[in-house]
Amino acid sequence: MPDDITRRRLLGIGGTLGLAAAAGLTTSAALARRPAVTGTELRSALPLPPPFQVPLPVPATLAPAGASGGTDHYEITQRETTAEILPGVRTPLWTYEGTFPGPTIESRRGRPVTVTHHNTLPVPTVVHLHGGRTAPESDGYPTDLVLPAHWPQTTHAAHDAGAHTMHDPRAAVTRLSRDYTFPLDQRPTLLWYHDHRMDFTAPAIWRGLAGLHIIRDDAEDDLGLPSGARELPLMITDRAFSADGTLTYPSLDPTLRLRPGVRDPYLAGVLGDVILVNGAPWPVHETDTARHRLRVLNASNARHYELEAVTDTGRRLPLVQIGADQGLLAAPVTHHALPVAPAERYDVVVDFTGLPVGSRVKLLNRLGTGRTRDVMAFHITRATTDDSRVPPVLSTDLPSWRPSDAAVTREFSFRAGRTHGGHGWLIGGLPFDPARSDVTVRLGDVEIWRLIADVHHPVHLHLVGFRVLSRNGRPPLPHDAGLKDTVSLRPGEAVEIITRFDGYRGRYLFHCHNAEHEDMAMMANLEIV
Amino acid sequence: MTETAPRTTPTGWALRVLAGAHTVAIIGQPVFAGTYLTGDYDSLHLHAVGADVVTSIGYLQMIAALTAWIRLRRAWPFLATTAVVAAETVQYLAGLDGALWLHIPLGVITVTALTVLFVALWLRPLTGPRPRTVRHA
Repeated sequence: MPDDITRRRLLGIGGTLGLAAAAGLTTSAALARRPAVTGTELRSALPLPPPFQVPLPVPATLAPAGASGGTDHYEITQRETTAEILPGVRTPLWTYEGTFPGPTIESRRGRPVTVTHHNTLPVPTVVHLHGGRTAPESDGYPTDLVLPAHWPQTTHAAHDAGAHTMHDPRAAVTRLSRDYTFPLDQRPTLLWYHDHRMDFTAPAIWRGLAGLHIIRDDAEDDLGLPSGARELPLMITDRAFSADGTLTYPSLDPTLRLRPGVRDPYLAGVLGDVILVNGAPWPVHETDTARHRLRVLNASNARHYELEAVTDTGRRLPLVQIGADQGLLAAPVTHHALPVAPAERYDVVVDFTGLPVGSRVKLLNRLGTGRTRDVMAFHITRATTDDSRVPPVLSTDLPSWRPSDAAVTREFSFRAGRTHGGHGWLIGGLPFDPARSDVTVRLGDVEIWRLIADVHHPVHLHLVGFRVLSRNGRPPLPHDAGLKDTVSLRPGEAVEIITRFDGYRGRYLFHCHNAEHEDMAMMANLEIV
Repeated sequence: MTETAPRTTPTGWALRVLAGAHTVAIIGQPVFAGTYLTGDYDSLHLHAVGADVVTSIGYLQMIAALTAWIRLRRAWPFLATTAVVAAETVQYLAGLDGALWLHIPLGVITVTALTVLFVALWLRPLTGPRPRTVRHA
């Protein structure tokens, strides 16, 4: 009967469509990066060392060259060097003072610091103190270059195809050296300094231009938190190594002189297959059965981590967060897994009390695969007593801006798009242009910013700290607590932040801190008037 | 028994109208998703409200389809609607969870499935039960 034929055909069509739908979803499930990862991983061409063999280095503290009028003065020479990162392998680096990470600057709240940076590298540099409340002339605007000795004076050195030829009339260019002044009149926290040169930030950080800067004050010292040898800065980075021991990086111009950018497969971000902590591959730290304060910085270009501390018996130790990018939380927040986006800092206390001597605690990355699942390990070698503590109230000076205080609410999309040079990354539909004013805010105004992402974008504002009001219209996540200067947007996510623009008038930046995105135009100007 | 001119019953009409509203509502979802990703924050709210509206109409359509099954002795609208509503429920949770690998293709599939169901409901009359005797002639 015709009816039956129709029915049979309908069933056939329906079945085919159903199969196609099932095949589509299965393909998506199979091909999708779960968890989502933005970026492409480089493969090292060298045999990689086994994990947890190399001792954890702690960057040396830089001694001041002098002090005058209540200001400490430091000297840092940016120079090429060769270091042994992988055992038995010599790796050329660009460094601050010959080490990677660079030397740590220890400072006190409100005591200004001047750092004279000498550039002996083959390319121009710019130093930005990430998280610092710094006047615009010392904030390391990307065109405020410090030129090396043999570099043409013109800012139009790059005429090549693909190179940016944008002129910035406000650029303050110096030759050989520059004094950066940091008032450090801000909450105690872990800052970091790194290169911020226009178009070449990512490869410069990759080659080693990053260091730590710690601010302390009496109130924090009096809390009784773990200190001394039990306070460890952990600068986590990922890198890849070529057969000759050099760091692999997919630059279009490996001299980093003229043509910016990376090869197409790496446009979304460059990931390495070796995890370094304080410059050592998957290190191990011998220590005792006490609380430890881990001051975690993700200084990777594009890799996100979700850290967990796991004992030999598979037990996850609580990671008690006491601080965020911009200093102490009001009260501790306990995590079992802690997401850390590029440029974010988390101040956490982990308690090794009661662990058997001889056992290990591994710091693992739940977002990694294969070797990138491992980060580092703690080897418990001594029993001890511990008089440190984590007080229930950590600070009482966090700003409490209310949405009703906001003078303006702004919206910014962070997404892929076309730039002058081809593929790139846009804020509000526009690629970065130093000569364009994107946002003008009044000094002292409170504003709400709504940030929307297509893929992962860790968004960083210079000068100010902010608080996270919401994620996707819902309350913030536990790790959004405290005062931040970088917020991690995951694919499709919207985050509302609130801040007060105070401190200094002038030209600042906000940008994605995926360093490749940043180099490929994902920055915008923030003019404070 | 001679066949009378096929006419869509009130139950059938209710089902058709709900399926129409359901289809219109679901087509708004990719629109709001798209405008959201251009940076329009309010579109996220519209996408969320849209998800509630689509799901609510879906449940009403399920009731209408169940009624049609009972009154008109036609099971397929109910089975098809149930499949769409099941997909929408998964879609809702995938959206909340940010599982875009599932949310985007399943969204496309759900819109397509509902569109096909809409066509099927409107192409031919939704009449009452037919006499079974003819079939064995």
